[in-house]
Amino acid sequence: MQESGSPVLLEHLFRRESGRIVAWLAGLLGSAHLQLAEDAAQEAMLRAVQTWPFQGIPPKPEAWLFRTAHNYAISSVRRSGVFNGKADALIAALESGAQPILDLDAEQSLRDDELRMVFMCCHPKLVPDAQVALSLKLVGGFSKEEIARIFFSEPATIAQRLVRAKRLIREQKLALTMPSNGQLEQRVNSVLKVIYLMFSGGYAAHAGEDLIRADVCLEALRLGRLVASSSMGAPRVDALVALMALQAARLPARTDAAGDLVLLEEQDRNLWDDELIAIGFSYFDRSIAGDEISEWHVQAAIASIYASAASSTEIDWVSILEHYDQLMEMTDSPVVALNRAVVVMKVHGAEAALAALTPLAGNNALQKYHLLPATQGHVLAALGRLEEARAAFSAALECDCTLPEKRFLQRRLATISM
Amino acid sequence: MPQYVLLLHSNGEAWKKLSPEEMQKKVEKYLAWRNKPFVVGGAGLVRDTGRVIRAKGDDVSVTEGPFSESAEVMGGFYTIEAADYDEAVKLSLDNPHIGLGTVEIRQVMVYNA
Repeated sequence: MQESGSPVLLEHLFRRESGRIVAWLAGLLGSAHLQLAEDAAQEAMLRAVQTWPFQGIPPKPEAWLFRTAHNYAISSVRRSGVFNGKADALIAALESGAQPILDLDAEQSLRDDELRMVFMCCHPKLVPDAQVALSLKLVGGFSKEEIARIFFSEPATIAQRLVRAKRLIREQKLALTMPSNGQLEQRVNSVLKVIYLMFSGGYAAHAGEDLIRADVCLEALRLGRLVASSSMGAPRVDALVALMALQAARLPARTDAAGDLVLLEEQDRNLWDDELIAIGFSYFDRSIAGDEISEWHVQAAIASIYASAASSTEIDWVSILEHYDQLMEMTDSPVVALNRAVVVMKVHGAEAALAALTPLAGNNALQKYHLLPATQGHVLAALGRLEEARAAFSAALECDCTLPEKRFLQRRLATISM
Repeated sequence: MPQYVLLLHSNGEAWKKLSPEEMQKKVEKYLAWRNKPFVVGGAGLVRDTGRVIRAKGDDVSVTEGPFSESAEVMGGFYTIEAADYDEAVKLSLDNPHIGLGTVEIRQVMVYNA
């Protein structure tokens, strides 16, 4: 029987603590011993799963995990002796950082450890794919199988990417320190990109059973808030957090009970998460306090229009289109252009949308992106050009997409084939 | 009511493949199972250690256990109450350990003095 007073497991406890433990131990040991930090965190989780189910949850589960990982790290350094006689120094470093594992001061220093880890994962010497994979693994606590699903890739490929990235960190001696002022600007930007890639990886999963991976989105949101709460905070960080919170608020309504896709206009607004919407708007207010306007600001502004419309018929499409035009000036992203075409259809009709889509047809980046032919199909169907619409939907079905999206496309295809 | 012991074997490899989130969900399932009314108790066993003692002629041999010929070690056990084996099996079919390793069910002998 469960002992009285034994706390209920906290949501995402393992995932969160795993990232914090890796960041904390790597901070003490240095980035050359990243693997040991990871092993220690995993060992702590393993010991938890092999004792808690029988003995019950310890009164302070977080502290238990930290202590277990710390003990493992120390005994592992003692055992191995492979660290070129540096074992004593490593043990001293581990012991020096061990005192108040979970008191209030430590909370702040743990946040700093995590931030340093995020910034190291986003080091410009690492390619963007490696930056995201590393952040997901080390900070987000995702397994290589989970990362593979997000990237629509094989676990072995991800494992290789991670090994290579970690070797580079070791060889180049990338330090777990915050970038200096001169590099900070650039680094914050790549941190934001990684966080957003993580978020969109969860928001629109590329393959598999699930259309969305809410846990990936929420992890990205947590990291965004972590950066926003730090001295790295800037209006564009607030804007990105606002964007993610407003989009995450709609996650519960994006799929129906069968896991099928529900279009924005058909979503049940009662399912939107009010708390996340409130968080989104408060970050949005903060983001527009200064005079900076980043692409995150514009995207957050679009999300805020969707979130504030009382019903799907009251969405201010004209303002949304203005924001998309602004976004087009700031980025040359074909995905932005594609989304803009959908809004053009709302404002100026299908003929104009088709014209907006035309230049995208030959774009390399969109060649295997199912939403291009799917959007073409949607526009063509509205114009009554059913033959071409059918061909477009069929082409979309040839691309990689999730099972719910496949079912959605098949339904569309069936409707216009009748 | 007769008591049964569920011996939970696993080699730990299945656990290592799980992400922290997945591990946590598993633990939650175990904890829920542990709180079922027919569960009397249980304990975890220290992993990867153990000794096996065998007679060797007039001597004994002590090897690092658990039985080294089996890759699976016992991670822990539960004690449950059930009317008979059939019921013990029925009650245990949803034990979250199934899939991560094997579950051996043994009746606890009642000793009538």
